[in-house]
Amino acid sequence: MEQIVFYSLSAVALGAGLAVVLMRNVLHSALMLGLALMAVAGLFGSLGADFLFAGQIVVYVTGVAVLVLFVVMLAGRESDLHSVQTNEKWPLALAIAGVTFCGLWRLFCTYSNTMVRTPAVPTTEGIGILLLSDYALPFELISLILLAALIGAIHFSRAEEKQ
Amino acid sequence: MTLSAYLTVAGLLFCIGLFGALTRRNTIGILMGIELMFNAANLNLVAFNRFLHFDRLDGNVMTLFIIGVAAAEAVVGLALVVAIYRNINTIYAEDFNLLKG
Repeated sequence: MEQIVFYSLSAVALGAGLAVVLMRNVLHSALMLGLALMAVAGLFGSLGADFLFAGQIVVYVTGVAVLVLFVVMLAGRESDLHSVQTNEKWPLALAIAGVTFCGLWRLFCTYSNTMVRTPAVPTTEGIGILLLSDYALPFELISLILLAALIGAIHFSRAEEKQ
Repeated sequence: MTLSAYLTVAGLLFCIGLFGALTRRNTIGILMGIELMFNAANLNLVAFNRFLHFDRLDGNVMTLFIIGVAAAEAVVGLALVVAIYRNINTIYAEDFNLLKG
């Protein structure tokens, strides 16, 4: 059962990720990004991280993916649908990605016998305690970063003032 | 499932995102590739937390922080894309050459 869940979610995540990268219509790849992020949320769930499962759905799928969709619709033109969407250096990029994966694969092989030994327990209470004890300072800093991002986004995207 | 299975999926997702960020002409496509790379890193953190340090939750908390920073990055990046599109009427990265004069 666990293996069925893992393999189906991984197939969805990797297939949707490839579609994000390769599809010509940017709107379609933004929709595929939502699907890939949802599959990653499912993988979080299969790893026993229930709070992150909910957080991933709330922040990424309904936040970032929808925002990307909005910007695609705001900043797109019809001629985009007929032009090639990748640059001419793609063999080089493929080589870089392949070499990176080969290096990572050598590292991953050292964990090929590590199995999970304990049953999954709810994590929300522990995360809340950690956020307000050991990680209190980063927690406050992240709220500052979010505020700065909010102000920056408003500043960059507001309409030009009439002179 | 073994830890290496989860790590392999995360590594593949990272390389797919890297390929997308390097090859896309469209700035929004580059941002989407970067989001995929963030997600691969998050998956790695949660997998290591679950398999190697199952009595602690530091990996999950770190993933929460990364999700917050990634959301802020996406918001500012997309606002910049909209501002650039409004000024020079294109979103292709090779057309951003105002500094060449």
